[in-house]
Amino acid sequence: MLQSFFVWMQGLPFSAWMLEETWASPIIQCAHLVALVGFAGAVLVVDMRLLGRGLIKTPLNQLARELDRWMIWSFVALFVTGAPQVLSTALKQYYSPFFWWKMQIIVIGLLFNFTIRRRVALAEEGTLGHWPKVVGFLSIGIWTSVSVYARLIGLLS
Amino acid sequence: MRSLFEWVDALPSSIALRESLNAYPTMLTIHVVSMCLFAGLIAYWDMRLIGFTLKKVPVSNIPTRLFPWALTGYGINLITGALLLYSQPMRYYGNFYFWAKMALMLVAGINMFWFHYATYKSVQAWDQGREIPLNARLAGVVSLVLWAAVVVTGRMMAYSGLMPGWWNNLNIGA
Repeated sequence: MLQSFFVWMQGLPFSAWMLEETWASPIIQCAHLVALVGFAGAVLVVDMRLLGRGLIKTPLNQLARELDRWMIWSFVALFVTGAPQVLSTALKQYYSPFFWWKMQIIVIGLLFNFTIRRRVALAEEGTLGHWPKVVGFLSIGIWTSVSVYARLIGLLS
Repeated sequence: MRSLFEWVDALPSSIALRESLNAYPTMLTIHVVSMCLFAGLIAYWDMRLIGFTLKKVPVSNIPTRLFPWALTGYGINLITGALLLYSQPMRYYGNFYFWAKMALMLVAGINMFWFHYATYKSVQAWDQGREIPLNARLAGVVSLVLWAAVVVTGRMMAYSGLMPGWWNNLNIGA
């Protein structure tokens, strides 16, 4: 069933247009990479603060609140620029283990971010012991894995 | 310049790196991850200067607290970038986007030094306040645009078929 969905995506006129239009894929990929930089920065500034590094003179919850919207909008940009790439190379993605690992980790990352990480980042500092460090470390690990798998889809699939 | 690239291209270690199945994916993946560390942090520094975000964070906090991490990312990025170039010098020699990226990095570096040694010296006067001087805001805009262009030209290096016509006419890679 999932395979037929990917075959359907690959057969869409938009997918054909993406493949035929010389500049469509490069422009989308460049925009995806710029959005990735925006996302990575917003995540890292807060994660480093969770680890007790970076902007330690600024309250953690203040940083987390301010960068939350940058993280969300960068993620939206990543999704908007990522979806056309999946559509135009749907079958390549379907048969790539890295694509599925990436998707699974993205889901884990989103759930982790909007539940545990957000709660820990917005909590009163000094009340959660070592948990902020664990959460910061896990968050960096999760999003680094996503970028690694994303890169490997193109290189090894 | 071309003979230097050809000389590197023929070195046994360059050939070994080029022919290794794992070297290229490994180097490129580390290059992208370290780019996220460097460019991600620099982007928020630039946006702080422009006044887009982190307005309550004193400006001087960012270089002291975030730059060591950003520079670590930059160092790893430079090493992996140099290794990528070392492994396939002739692939990059004729590539317009490679030279554009190098030029943009140079200009971004000059902008960074100019800002650091000129505008940043008066940071104590505008460190806590929200009113950032025009020179600093301009340096932030220039830096943001230049580093975004570095990222874009870096990605475009894979598209050797999409180089400008005038560049192709120069026959540099031939």
